[in-house]
Amino acid sequence: MTTTTLGTSASSLPRLDWPFLIAAVLGTAVLVTLVALDGQPASAALLMLGFALGIAFFKAEFSFTAAWRRFLVKGEAGGLLAALLLIAVAAIVIVPVAALVPGFGGAIAPIGPSLVIGAFVFGIGMQLANGCGSGTLYTAGGGSGRMLIALALFISGSVIGSLHLPAFLAFGGVDPILAANYFGPWGGLAVTLASIAAVAIAIALIARARGATFAPRPLLIGGAIAIGLISIGVFLAGHHPWSVTFGFTVWGAKLAALAGFDFSQAEFWQWPGPKRALAESILSDTSSLTDLGMLLGAMAAAAASKPFARTAWPPARSLLAAAIGGLLMGWGARIGFGCNIGAFVGGVASGSLHGWVWFAAALGGCAIGIRLRPLFGLSRE
Amino acid sequence: MRIVYALVLIAGLAAVIVDHLASPSSARAVSPEDFAGACAPCGAPCPSVQKK
Repeated sequence: MTTTTLGTSASSLPRLDWPFLIAAVLGTAVLVTLVALDGQPASAALLMLGFALGIAFFKAEFSFTAAWRRFLVKGEAGGLLAALLLIAVAAIVIVPVAALVPGFGGAIAPIGPSLVIGAFVFGIGMQLANGCGSGTLYTAGGGSGRMLIALALFISGSVIGSLHLPAFLAFGGVDPILAANYFGPWGGLAVTLASIAAVAIAIALIARARGATFAPRPLLIGGAIAIGLISIGVFLAGHHPWSVTFGFTVWGAKLAALAGFDFSQAEFWQWPGPKRALAESILSDTSSLTDLGMLLGAMAAAAASKPFARTAWPPARSLLAAAIGGLLMGWGARIGFGCNIGAFVGGVASGSLHGWVWFAAALGGCAIGIRLRPLFGLSRE
Repeated sequence: MRIVYALVLIAGLAAVIVDHLASPSSARAVSPEDFAGACAPCGAPCPSVQKK
């Protein structure tokens, strides 16, 4: 993590922040009880796995955004390679199970202008906000008021994106390309792992050529393995790879509907999945369950280690960057079929080509976002 | 900032609980990809289907 405001200098304050720690644990327990009373053990598992993800991200300070920025600016590749390790761990289960077990499926998406444009815009946004989908969740949950603003605008942007997505899909594209469809479950896994290894080697070579380090810190390696294993749990409980941003879209649409906005003429909200999600309980949506768990897990981890949210609000320009970044990420995630988790991690770990296309386009967007950061008083590094 | 967080936490949890109690629930939590014709995590249709 880089400039998000999770740290504190108030060393004289108690390390354990009981009110927020109890609130986070109690809040999770209430939600778990609600879904358990409905006879939904898988939903309870998704909430608790999300809680574990929040702790793992917070403790490992696992940040896609800072890792990509360090690679682009300095050539340092440790964070990027740790992310690829996370994906490789998840792929070992996701590729074969999605291909072999009925009811399970990988993260797929069409490849076309919508994917590229959305991912590129998302990349700009993640550097301005200083967090991606998962990063926004765990830093907002962890006590960063700045990222709370990014989250609110992320939610708003994703609803706007949902209204625009059908028009972008009309530009055309090709159906999802899955390795397992061409090489079978185990051949698809081999191809997926080989593609991850090839990209990792290319990244390490670029880092070495630029005279930068490429070995991930031990904490990042541990975090990558832990998050990869938890994401396997999310896949087994939810029957699809972990995703983040669809939950934001549903939350925003429910709030907009409450304010009187009519989605009955919006094409996106007439597709079966989104239509059902808007009509049913938030706790019936897999991504909402892990999102809520992750927010509360990060809150618990933060409150268990230091006084919670005691830092001052950052300067207005930094807050503006968070707001614009959140808006761009929300819009980009909807147009580009997800964020670093749903599109990149989930896509590549499913052996879907769109994951790599998303990664390349988002990395290009990050390069632009990094150039824009000084306008908001943020460091390029 | 702590007060803002406390308010957001209380309002957010209350909203989720009220929404859950006031809305129907599926037998199992689902994602848009669970539905026929979904081609993306958000449930968007495939280009080949859209062309038809």
